[in-house]
Formats: sequence, structure tokens, C-alpha cells
Amino acid sequence: MRATLTRPGLCRVEQIMGTAITVDLADDLPPATLRELADEVFAWMHEVDARFSTYQPASEVCRFDRGEVLLSEASADLRYVLETCADLWGATDGFFDAYATGRLDPSGFVKGWAAQVASDRLVAAGAVNHCVNAGGDVRVRGRSPSGEPWRIGIRHPWDAMAACLVLTGTDLAVATSGVYERGRHVLDPRRGAPAGGLRSVTVVGTDLGVADAYATAALAMGTPGLGWLARLDDHTHAAITDNARQYHSVDLPLTG
Amino acid sequence: MRRVFLAITGLAASTTALVVFKGSPAATQVAQNLPTAQPVNPTPQEVEPSADPNAPGTDPADGEPTPSKSADSPVSPKPGKTTARPSTTKTTKAPSAPRTTKAPQPTTRRVTGNGFDNEYGYVQVQIVVSGNRIVEAVALSLPSGGESDIHSGDVRDRYDGSGGEVVQKQNANLNTVSGATETSNSYKQSLRSAIEQAI
Repeated sequence: MRATLTRPGLCRVEQIMGTAITVDLADDLPPATLRELADEVFAWMHEVDARFSTYQPASEVCRFDRGEVLLSEASADLRYVLETCADLWGATDGFFDAYATGRLDPSGFVKGWAAQVASDRLVAAGAVNHCVNAGGDVRVRGRSPSGEPWRIGIRHPWDAMAACLVLTGTDLAVATSGVYERGRHVLDPRRGAPAGGLRSVTVVGTDLGVADAYATAALAMGTPGLGWLARLDDHTHAAITDNARQYHSVDLPLTG
Repeated sequence: MRRVFLAITGLAASTTALVVFKGSPAATQVAQNLPTAQPVNPTPQEVEPSADPNAPGTDPADGEPTPSKSADSPVSPKPGKTTARPSTTKTTKAPSAPRTTKAPQPTTRRVTGNGFDNEYGYVQVQIVVSGNRIVEAVALSLPSGGESDIHSGDVRDRYDGSGGEVVQKQNANLNTVSGATETSNSYKQSLRSAIEQAI
């Protein structure tokens, strides 16, 4: 507790995109600078939400989906997201599908990507020790306020208050997709039905948008997703099946 | 007691059948199958989705219940409670969350928040107020469909990662947690309305 009272930096939480977004800045910078950095992160998150929310009919993504905005007229961010989603569709054998629900919904990529961009901007601004957590998708860099590498728990799929694995590192993108919070909201795009077999998939890499999309894709694959995860280059993973079995890469950055 | 009774009944039935229908394989089979159709578990076994349906009470000739073979088979989400317990279903039942409904304090009251719909379903929160303090917040309704009823097969043979063990809970200091996106707003809204009513 003493460490948390005297810790350097700043930690702030805001509710954006229908979920909690946490920015933990661990650098010992002047308070005004820290506040400014956090303000910039949350302003960016609001901007992404306004542009990409599928629940706001006036968002650019909804207007594009209705044909009111042409691709040539779209913002650079929307074009980048659409292009990357197409690449990810190919990279995941079609299991990451921004059109899985029948209408455009790139949320499986956008949340992680937004946090990744926020983290990249923090590094560029000199805040090299930080953690950005966007609704469970985590990007950590450098060290935590205690001076140790960041410690990231993977939520236990049957106990919201517990972690089932603990990762540690100084440069990690950790994205988790699971069916325990919002039900079976991830569709198998080939069958148009909810995916089954896996309860939670965590993908660890260096790009949070890609990790987020891979986790969503593996969840949509169901149990065969385990084999697909095992063949991924440059990414490690952990998955928990519906029958409470836990699988993970041998080189997953676990603590201890 | 029921098992012993069934075992004796089964033994008597099959012995009789053997004497009466000696040499007739079909008849013997019928007689031996008789008791297996009868046992009905008094406690619903669905509590343990992984319980081996063949383990308890199916073999009338075997007086001793065989220990569950579930050590290597899918086990329930609550680890460590099911292995090698013989068929007394009461002890294998998953521990349920403590409830305060039975004996409420005189000053304790429950206040239910308004329900809120969000894109995933209906969320409603109830708080328990003891004096001036909120002692508990319970989600009366959360979006359904998250609970699994699908059981995947064993995947170990076509997987080169490590694992396959039952998911555990870790005790550690954490800086942050990675998990599926939560439905935070509806919960907060319902919680807030419950608090406002309680004031």
C-alpha cells in the first residue's frame, strides 16, 4: 500500500466505448505534463468512439455502412481500419470478419488498435513507462510504478475477481476475447452461428489491434482455434475451453 | 441404502433369471438390465457437467461404488472438488455463493435498482443496505448466453502448446487485468438507481 501512495505518475479511468478505459502513466513527470498526456489519450479514445461506434447511427462507420460515405470520402482512420480488417480477414482464414453480423462492425479490431495508437503516442511524447487498458485489451510498455515489469492478469473465465494466469513484461500487447461477459457474441462467420468450444482466448504480441483480432478469430473458430493459435508466428496465446481446461504457448511470458 | 437394496434386488433378479432361463442369452441380458433402468439419482447430477454418467449406481452386481474416473476427464469450473469422490452427490456439489436471505439483520434491507437494457441484454442490480452501509451488490439479471453448455473434446493430441490442466486461480499482485469487454454502463446505471432509492 505504501508503494501506491508514493508512486510516481498518474492513473485515470474513464468510461468510453461502453467500457472502462484505464491509463496508467508510471513516469515521474511533472503533474501538469501527466494530466496533459492523459487528456490527450482520452480525447483520442473519444474521437475513435465517435467515428467507429456501431451504436451511434451518426458515426462515420455507420454512415459508411449505409452507403452515405464513399470510401474515397472516408477519413484516413476509417480507410486504414477497413484495409487492416481486410488483411486480417485473410490472415485468419476468414474467421475475423468485420461483416460477420451482416453489417460492418470492426469493433474486434478498433478497440485494441485505438489503445495501441494511444500507447505509441505516449512513447513518442516521452512517457515510455505506461499501461493502457481498453476494456480488457492491454498495452504495457516499460515498467510499472514500482519499477518492476508490468504484471498483467488474465481474467479467470468463471470468477470476475480472480486471475487464472499472470503475465509479465516490458513491451506486451495482451488482448483477450471471451464469451463470459457478453454471452456468445462472437459469431462463426462461416456458419453464422455463435462459436463454441472456447470460453476465453488471450493473444500476446506487440500490436494490440492485431492481437485483439486474432483473439476474436480464434474464439470464433472454437476448439480448432487452438491449433491455429499454435501456428501463429510472433504471437503467444492462452486459451480456456468450455470444460475449464487451460492451454497456452510454451513461451507465453508467464511470471515465476 | 438405495444402492444396497438395488444390488440385492438385482442379484436376486439375475439369479432367478439364470435359474429360470438358463442357456438363453437374450433372457439373461434382459434380466441383468432390469435394475439398471431403475436407479434415479435423488440429487440432480447436472450440477456437475462433467460427472461421469457411468460411474455411480449403474452396476447392480458391484456392491462397492467405483471411484469416479473423472480425474482425467473434463472437470467442472470449480477445481479440486470432484476428483475421486464416490457417488455421494451431496459432497460433490459445487459450493454455492453465501446468501444472506435466510437470516437478515433487523436493520438490513434490499433495494432493487431499475432494470436497464443494453445491446447485449437486460441488467438489473440489487443492493443490500445495513444501516448506512451497502454490504452487498447483487446482479439480479445479466445478459444470458455466456454460460456454456457445450463440451469440447480433448484437443491435446493435435496441439503443441502446453497445458490441458484445469484452470486455476492465481494469487498475485497485478497492475492490470486482461479480459473480455464488460458491460459496465448498464451495471453502473442500475447500481446508481438502487443507491438513489436507498438514500
